[in-house]
Amino acid sequence: MAKIDWRAAVLLQRFIVAIFFSACLFAGGVAQAAGGPLVAAAASLRFALEEIVDRYAGVTGSSVRLVFGSSGALVQQIENGAPFALFLSADSGYVERLVAGGYTEGTGTAYGQGALVLFTRLGLLSEPGEGLASLARATSTGQIKRLVIANPEYAPYGRAARAALRHAGLWTQVQPLLVVGANAGQAAHFALEGAVDAALLPLTLAKIPALTKAGNYVVLPAASHPGISLHQQIVVLRGAGADAYDFFVYLQSAEVQAIFSRHGVRAISG
Amino acid sequence: MLRVSLEHDAPPLALDLELPLGELSAIVGPSGGGKTSILRAMAGLLRTRRARVSLDGETWADTAQGVWQPARLRPLGFVGQNYALFPHLNAVENVAAALLHLPAATRRERALACLAAVGIAGLAERSPRALSGGQRQRVAMARAIAREPKLLLLDEPFSALDRSTRKRLHIELKRLQASLGVTVVLVTHDLDEAAQLSGHLCLLHHGRLLQQGPTHELLRRPTSVESARLLDFPNLCQARLSVSAGSSNILQWGEVNIGTSTAIEARPGASVPWTIRASDVFLVKAGHSDEARLGTIVTAQVAELIELGDSVLVSLSVENGGGETLRMRLRPGAVRRHDVSPGALVRVALHPEAVIPLIE
Amino acid sequence: MDWNALQLSAELAAWTLAVLLPLGILAGRWLALTRTRARPWLQALFALPLVLPPTVVGYYLLTLMGSRSTLGVLMDSLFDLSLAFSFPGLVLASIFVNLPFAILPVQRGFEAVSQELHDAAACCGMSRWQAFTRVELPLAWPGVLSAAVLTFGHTLGEFGVVLMVGGNIPGQTRTLSIAIFDRVQAFDPAAAGRMALLLLLISLVTVALGYGTLERRGKAGAGGN
Repeated sequence: MAKIDWRAAVLLQRFIVAIFFSACLFAGGVAQAAGGPLVAAAASLRFALEEIVDRYAGVTGSSVRLVFGSSGALVQQIENGAPFALFLSADSGYVERLVAGGYTEGTGTAYGQGALVLFTRLGLLSEPGEGLASLARATSTGQIKRLVIANPEYAPYGRAARAALRHAGLWTQVQPLLVVGANAGQAAHFALEGAVDAALLPLTLAKIPALTKAGNYVVLPAASHPGISLHQQIVVLRGAGADAYDFFVYLQSAEVQAIFSRHGVRAISG
Repeated sequence: MLRVSLEHDAPPLALDLELPLGELSAIVGPSGGGKTSILRAMAGLLRTRRARVSLDGETWADTAQGVWQPARLRPLGFVGQNYALFPHLNAVENVAAALLHLPAATRRERALACLAAVGIAGLAERSPRALSGGQRQRVAMARAIAREPKLLLLDEPFSALDRSTRKRLHIELKRLQASLGVTVVLVTHDLDEAAQLSGHLCLLHHGRLLQQGPTHELLRRPTSVESARLLDFPNLCQARLSVSAGSSNILQWGEVNIGTSTAIEARPGASVPWTIRASDVFLVKAGHSDEARLGTIVTAQVAELIELGDSVLVSLSVENGGGETLRMRLRPGAVRRHDVSPGALVRVALHPEAVIPLIE
Repeated sequence: MDWNALQLSAELAAWTLAVLLPLGILAGRWLALTRTRARPWLQALFALPLVLPPTVVGYYLLTLMGSRSTLGVLMDSLFDLSLAFSFPGLVLASIFVNLPFAILPVQRGFEAVSQELHDAAACCGMSRWQAFTRVELPLAWPGVLSAAVLTFGHTLGEFGVVLMVGGNIPGQTRTLSIAIFDRVQAFDPAAAGRMALLLLLISLVTVALGYGTLERRGKAGAGGN
């Protein structure tokens, strides 16, 4: 190819790059645009937070944008520069990591205690109320063919589920039956849609109408998953604006505590 | 003069051409010999390892001096084997495509004029798909002459056409060339076509130039065995130079001494191939008045007779000759009159002017 | 129905097309005409996004563009912009992922322009630009159109890479395909179904229009000699 073509090619490339960079300039300015502060929250808090944000809009007229995922995945995104202003984690470990990495403003506040439940399909267990004991029985009799949990590597409720199963001596037994969701929300979704017999889910999700219609749940005491506290924490992230702080404060109000409680996030005990 | 010197490896080329301006020259050779590459090199479409192309003093390419004019800057027109008409444009648009240096208004006018010059003004709006082979060729020709080129390059432009169309277009081409006075270089594998159209002929074989010169001369006098083969001389015999004396040389063919008036540059005793046209082998009638004037006379036995169209090819086995079969062309009437039949003995004459010595 | 998500999807497709179409034409044409021995390797390189799973592509892109990468830091300091989890980052990712769709059909299109036609254009005195616009492009445009349709359609449906590189940020990177996934996770299958249907219809219409145009024009002109 003659030199002329290369010159044209280079010119065109420069033109494209110029467009791209101007787009970036434009986008950079618009980035924090309309919609309110960006809040990253554990998937288990979806329904609670949606109600809270609605209430907030009604009370103050300001909106808040919510993004849900497993706490671990969200932390990864934050560390990679995701533009979140607030982070609601399903346990304290992740918040500590962010604080240590300098991604936060302040060290965060605990606002509640999450709980793990055993969810079983309607009519499956004769005595679901016995919790993991009945799970153990049902597993050995082959009644349970599939068990869903959130991913134990990076979802706090998944970690709690694994701890509980280990504590009950069931971990190895249930390995062939496990279905793993990317986050607690996906685990709940699998539980609903996936022809699954049992699941270990956050209380906040087990309470939603879709699931209560499909099965029963029994809350597992905190002792069943030793080492995993499920302390729910909020933290303000670096670069958050005044509107984020406003919402942060609102989240700690009594009104919001009541909403959380109703959804299954209890006050911290001890 | 159009001077073309090329050296290349793929395809292998090594030649020096000198073609007269304002005339139609033909480059002839078997298919695959690199003829298209030569034309492309002349057009500036192919960069050969070494090249020197100049037309009337204007140098278009000179690798030694680092001169290279790309095709689009050379004042030439090119008609490829498949005509390469732009399929998305109709006839007049195809021709106008060569006239982008003119303002749009004049372009169409001039394009129509070119189409008229090749005789298809009425087909201006037709798309190439709706044109016959001959019509497409004319559009390609019109496009090639649109820019009033100094050189017209034609790559086997008639090979894909039927005989009658070809004959018609031969005449058109000659007419066009005469009226425009443009230098034309035509590449073809058809010797007859080249013989009919060109005033200057170049014989090409495996990328090498065998012979070049005015057509009528070249056709009568091949200089090498290879040329003779290409020019379709059916008699190729091996002899030895017996006597060398300027324009009067004697070749010893077998035990027969044959005289030739063509100068030979070799030492006596050297091996000299020679040839003669089948139509130049003369049947000596009984009672001929002045046999001496006829040249070398030999006796031969008729081996076979083959009727080819309006003549008869007679294969002769010459007594004491070099062993190769000599072929003679006779009219059917002569065959009957002189009772030329297989096995018959005849006397034939080989005139020194007709005997052509060759270089190996 | 998340209209914002639809708008984002459309904008992403439009920006990707705006950048990739000229790029695809340049690269595709070059590939069609070049005789370099590296050609098969280059083709393989451009086709890479086709064979890599979106998660792998997303992973590498995040590594390249994240706030901890050199490029990320540069963008942050120059434009106060984080590439990852932003729309410009999505455009960049989308450009990379759609390279094969933008380049390969264009390459085929330009390959259909024979050497003889190139020669003819040159002998007509056309400059390179004239030959390109008056001969090559009109004959290669079915390839270009294919590339445009494929790129557009593919971008609309892109999920894995968008999720990894963009996150799921409403108003910024929550494209229609992500929104559908989000609604499914929110136990809102009705909304998911509506948006999925819309996406399906848009894609269908786009592709049908594209191929329809190709067929119609294919009958009228273009084609070989």
